[in-house]
Amino acid sequence: MRRYKKIAEHRSRSVVDKRKSKEASRLTLHYPAFGIGRPFRYILEKFTLHRALIPFTLLIIISLAFDFINPGFLSAMNIGNMFPYISELGIIALGMTFLLTCGELDLSVGAVFGFCPIVLFIWYNDHVMGFEPAFILVLGIAALIGLTNGLLVTKLKIPSFLTTLGMMTAFQGIALYISHGFAQVTFLTESPIRTLLVGTFTIGDFGFYAGTFWFIVLMGLMYFVLNDTKFGNWISATGGNLQAARARGIHTDRVKIILFILTAVLAAFAGVIDSIRVSSAWPTAGQGYELEVIAMAVIGGTSLFGGRGSIIGTALGVILLRFISNGVILAGLPGLSYRIFVGLTILIMMTIHVLMERKIRRES
Amino acid sequence: MVNEHELVRMENINKMFGKVEALSNVDMTVNNEEIVGLVGDNGAGKSTLIKILSGLLRADSGEIYFKGENVKITSPSQAMDMGIETIYQETSLVDQVTVARNIFLGREPTKKIGFIKKLDMDYMRRESRELLGWIGLKKVSPDSLPPALSGGEKQSIAIARAMYFKACLLVLDEPTNHLGIEESERVLEFVKKAKKEGCSSIFITHNIHHVYRIADRFVVLRNGKKVGDVRKDETSIDEISNLILGRGIAA
Repeated sequence: MRRYKKIAEHRSRSVVDKRKSKEASRLTLHYPAFGIGRPFRYILEKFTLHRALIPFTLLIIISLAFDFINPGFLSAMNIGNMFPYISELGIIALGMTFLLTCGELDLSVGAVFGFCPIVLFIWYNDHVMGFEPAFILVLGIAALIGLTNGLLVTKLKIPSFLTTLGMMTAFQGIALYISHGFAQVTFLTESPIRTLLVGTFTIGDFGFYAGTFWFIVLMGLMYFVLNDTKFGNWISATGGNLQAARARGIHTDRVKIILFILTAVLAAFAGVIDSIRVSSAWPTAGQGYELEVIAMAVIGGTSLFGGRGSIIGTALGVILLRFISNGVILAGLPGLSYRIFVGLTILIMMTIHVLMERKIRRES
Repeated sequence: MVNEHELVRMENINKMFGKVEALSNVDMTVNNEEIVGLVGDNGAGKSTLIKILSGLLRADSGEIYFKGENVKITSPSQAMDMGIETIYQETSLVDQVTVARNIFLGREPTKKIGFIKKLDMDYMRRESRELLGWIGLKKVSPDSLPPALSGGEKQSIAIARAMYFKACLLVLDEPTNHLGIEESERVLEFVKKAKKEGCSSIFITHNIHHVYRIADRFVVLRNGKKVGDVRKDETSIDEISNLILGRGIAA
């Protein structure tokens, strides 16, 4: 008897808001009262409300698994070693997250990551100008690249995939050409800007590094912008339903152009940090980053089709993929095989996300 | 010599797309507290005409008068500021964003924290809840997502949103196309309610039967030209059909 009462209750409740506390993508789902146990239902609901829980859970699982296989995995030293890479890719991924949310993507981030530091170092090494002005100028160049991407996509209506693909190829070529194929090496003496960009301090075994600081700061800022500002709402709307957004008077072209610029500048910033850290700028640096970063964002729950972006999810995606790459090697698996696991992760996560999406739509 | 009941007057509107004459010397007037049915077959020019009115397109020539004043409508946001809001047949809501955020899309209220402007989510939720209650969707939460709602509910929210922001002219572009009977009823009733609140509407549709019930006047377009402008009490459904199809009225 109780079973039937539950069904009736569910049918009449329609879309009722049970919890008034947080503003999340709140969608109350109908569950058949029988067949699924209460704890499972509770977990499923939590996971739907907070998509980032999926990569988070996977992260916990694989961390524990890898640490079990090799106790050095979760050591402060190992994690400290992973963090520079996590931070740099993370910075690019944050930009990409916003861009994906507004319905576009940028394949040229890897090329910008490699190209801008080359220019910076050439100028600095040849004493064309001091480091600080060169740094600003190089970010300006990145902004111009982003602007061009944005204009081509919004005004000429060339799909962003093609536009940025062309841009990527072009700047890979330019980087190789101006550097004659050689890495630009420089050793930046201690200067305030060096500390600001790549300074480190250690807490015990854990090396905390400026890039990580920037990553966290950017994460906080961008989370705020996406969720708590007008502009953030416009980003989601532009990606979710372009026509509806335009009809409400949102300047969608402007939104997209701004985000293209942001993405390029962040990629350049990450590239500069990276090259100072290793004291060299490779013309081929960043190759493949564009796809990796898109994968990280999408694993974290940002939709490839636009409208939904998750900053926390992206951060988790970045950490997850890096942990897997590192963990596979530390676990003693053949070093060349780590990409298999990364690929598997992408496939599994995407399957879960798509299934969740379908479940939400069906329940509506 | 302006009729004081007149809200919008479009005069001599011409629009060409390449060699195609989409609109040719079309006049259309909408008065205060009036529902005008803009009807015509596919390709008659209805969508083009209202896109010009809502700022998405510029007419090649012609004038638009709003509340007696000559205006040039250059963008959707300008049209919105004037009080002209368009509701499309495809959902005007963004599926990935909550109902509250949808309602305030483009006009988000903010509160200052220091020098930062943060979205005023409490205000948005409160007002949304009230708006939803007014439509009759009391059970819908402002934090729910559009996919959870039916087509009619979404259209009602879009219309209510327009009225909330003090629209005085609703342009409804085939709003009941995708809707079932009960849902269409809901939308039609709501348009009537809007009229009572002082909001005029231009109702574009293929379905003359839908609009016949609630419209006060009909403007009929055919091949880019206006072929009819009749009050409901002076005409019949058959006559309007004939005008749409270009058939002579049966003797």
